[in-house]
Amino acid sequence: MSDASESSARQLATDARDRVRFEEEALDLSDQVYGVARRLVGSREEAEDLVQETYARAFRSWRSFQPGTNLRAWLFRILTNLNIDRGRKVQRTPDLQPLEESDYFLYNKLEESGTDGAPPDERRVVERLSQNDAVTALADLPHDFRDVVLLVDLADFTYSDAAQILDIPIGTVMSRLHRGRRMLKGALATSAADES
Amino acid sequence: MSGFAFDPCDKCEQMMQPYMDRVLTDAEIQEAEEHLAGCEYCRKRYRFEEEFRTFVRQAVSEPMPPELKERLRSLRTPL
Repeated sequence: MSDASESSARQLATDARDRVRFEEEALDLSDQVYGVARRLVGSREEAEDLVQETYARAFRSWRSFQPGTNLRAWLFRILTNLNIDRGRKVQRTPDLQPLEESDYFLYNKLEESGTDGAPPDERRVVERLSQNDAVTALADLPHDFRDVVLLVDLADFTYSDAAQILDIPIGTVMSRLHRGRRMLKGALATSAADES
Repeated sequence: MSGFAFDPCDKCEQMMQPYMDRVLTDAEIQEAEEHLAGCEYCRKRYRFEEEFRTFVRQAVSEPMPPELKERLRSLRTPL
């Protein structure tokens, strides 16, 4: 074999090894990708399609991933971009309802709604919330707010990673997170009150 | 800070989210923790917030269907 063909064979072998490693590392993150995808869209089928598209694109464009950088953030960026490309309508800035002023209000509401009169243990208070209400409240958040809440509160990204994934300033991440969390709590306080 | 009456519980409440998100400075963490050590009212609400975050995370989590994992594996480039 000539030197040139030997070196290109070595290059091919290195490429293949890097690609396999990249694909395995990406697959190890698929549970987390699915977890967020499931809450970005309305149904399990759509979430499955979105995750498949995400991985198809990631595997196709693996060379554009810089080894040593954050693969998880890179995958989530593909996921959120694809979700927007899939025809999620750009939302008009929703008419923002006034927020509850206090971050303690959900606890205060739930504590008040206790029927036995005794001040409840705060660990028991959370049991007054229902799982379905949480899923619905999250689904009802405007997209922009939900994206940030999902990335930070479900996928554990830092504000700065979330800013890069969504390509928005970090200050916007913080304000959407603040507002999104308050809206979520507001919705849960309302449903808890309706059910008690 | 304005010079008007200042309620340390209000301040503690404002620090709750950044505290839980671990984005406060050491000095701010110390300030929050000193207040929490002496304030049952805020302490309860911080503990609730922790419980609440865990609740939401569990409530909205759904495991990935195993068939999907298999389908993703099949998307890998053949060697």
